Amino acid sequence: MRSARVWGLMPAWVLMLGTLMVPLLIVAAVSVAERGSYGGFAWDFNPLSYREILFSEDWDGNLVFDPKYLSIIGRTLLLAGATTLICMALALPVAYVIATRPPKTKALLIYLVTLPFWVSMIVRVYAWLIILGNEGFVGRFWHWIGGEGTLLFTPGAMLVGMVYSYIPLMVLPVFAAIEKLDPALLEAGADLYGSRWTTARRVILPLTWPGLAAGAVLVFVPALGTVLEPMLLGGGKQMMMGTLIQTQFGGARNWPFGAAVALVLMAMVVIVLVINARRSMSREVRV
Amino acid sequence: MNLKTMLGAATAVALALPAYAEGTLNLYTWSDSIAPELIEKFEAQTGLTVNTDGFNSNEDALTKLQAGSSGYDIVTPSQHFVKIMIDEGLLEDINAKELAAYAQVDDKWKGQWWDPENAYSIPLAYGTAGFAVNRDVYEGPIDSWEVYFTPPADLKGKVASLSYPDEVVGAAQLYLGVPFCSEDKSEMKKVYDLLMAQKPDVAAYSSDNIENRIGTGEVGAHFWWDGNVLKTRNDGANIVYAEPKEGLVGWLDSFVVPKGAGNVEGAKQFIDFMSEKENATIQYNYYAHSSPVELDLEKAKYTPENAPELFPTVPVEFSKACSPAAQDLVTKVWTDLLQ
Repeated sequence: MRSARVWGLMPAWVLMLGTLMVPLLIVAAVSVAERGSYGGFAWDFNPLSYREILFSEDWDGNLVFDPKYLSIIGRTLLLAGATTLICMALALPVAYVIATRPPKTKALLIYLVTLPFWVSMIVRVYAWLIILGNEGFVGRFWHWIGGEGTLLFTPGAMLVGMVYSYIPLMVLPVFAAIEKLDPALLEAGADLYGSRWTTARRVILPLTWPGLAAGAVLVFVPALGTVLEPMLLGGGKQMMMGTLIQTQFGGARNWPFGAAVALVLMAMVVIVLVINARRSMSREVRV
Repeated sequence: MNLKTMLGAATAVALALPAYAEGTLNLYTWSDSIAPELIEKFEAQTGLTVNTDGFNSNEDALTKLQAGSSGYDIVTPSQHFVKIMIDEGLLEDINAKELAAYAQVDDKWKGQWWDPENAYSIPLAYGTAGFAVNRDVYEGPIDSWEVYFTPPADLKGKVASLSYPDEVVGAAQLYLGVPFCSEDKSEMKKVYDLLMAQKPDVAAYSSDNIENRIGTGEVGAHFWWDGNVLKTRNDGANIVYAEPKEGLVGWLDSFVVPKGAGNVEGAKQFIDFMSEKENATIQYNYYAHSSPVELDLEKAKYTPENAPELFPTVPVEFSKACSPAAQDLVTKVWTDLLQ
């Protein structure tokens, strides 16, 4: 029996080790390797990549504290955070409306929410390029109401693209949470003279929190590594961590530094996941 | 299925793979650079199946080869990247000067610094990088990089650059009189200052979707390549390719074969095929960049009269393969600019 269980779990272990842990260890190893002159790397131990995140040479050749990478990291966190909050604010009412429809309508609406996933990411971002461009209907409307210049290549355009790309990942778990909500609890709230607002705040929000938290992770984590929206909609005027890592493996020819930044990005993801896991655990204990 | 049959099946698949590779040719070229008509013709002639994959920057191509076993049989990098790839041992010595294609190549492209022995590469196309302006947006003079780097009122906030520093930094160096691949920090600081001063007027740093941005007048000036301007202008856009007196940044793309390619013979066949007079002319008419091999002038579509973009009258300076120290300065300029 025991051996059957061990062998039965083998595929999962092989998958975990072979496709997750091994590549991760390779990235970690590259981050402390010696950089090659024209990209690539050599197997020598050199942890300077991590120093480079905080200190770099200025134009006079002095090694100084340089917050440029910290500001890129901070900007990425800000963008991912803003995307997550906007997705939450929009997804909650949307999911509530969907969850309270009759079953057939509900199935159709949920299908519509997932529909964009059937289209390639790059096509979806290009669609926004057209919509927000001077010839697109939003761009035309903007000029019609007297707006100047183009709507593209702004932080706003980037945020619109990000929210659009990731919001289905928020709607689905929140929808699942709201669907499980017992209508009797809402009636009880009303019977106890709670206003609609109080019911929303004291009953609906706490009970759908697990869905919101799951959605937040699903949105925040990929948003941290995003490359397309900042490049195409934001105009690439300011680097994000995704673009920074890409540059290091490409034009900068500094693979170890790229790997180091990738690990920092991953550490941030892990921290978010751990905080989230601890919070949901402590909640379960309280309930 | 028991373990033995599974292993048997796996072995069969593994053995079948090389046979499969012999019947295919995998190209990794600049996006949309090879005439589809020629690919079909080559497939019909040889019975090989051709797969094409595109890249948008030399850096992407280099990174892919460095990562190893790319699976490609032909790549088409620019001259400075051919040099780097040769030095890094990433290319197959195909003894290019013995190929039929070599006889077709214009003498001025033979024995160049990036492949002095003509062992690894056969040139495919060449041209320049400069900037285009949309005449609906800006009507002033375009005889200097000054227009691009210190935009006049009509172009303020309406300039677009590329997402990679390679040629943009080169153009800034031409404007400032700083040599390519300079290792001098104070000189490169000047390049940085110039680009930083330009940044408030730059709408986007993006190498994608350039046709639309400049064609529709979304931006008034865009860093771009000669042949792309020509094609978009022929499609009806009111754009002009500038001829800055400080010079244009030159490039020449070549066919090379990555080390360990699965179908070296097929790759050589393709290179010869593409360099035949008739096919090279079809390719020239499609790609709209200058051709380094002999063309059928009766059928060639572009002349100095109808395609001034391809026949610049200002100096052209070809990008070089920078030393790691010089490349680090280029990267520093770019990262500090976009930090």
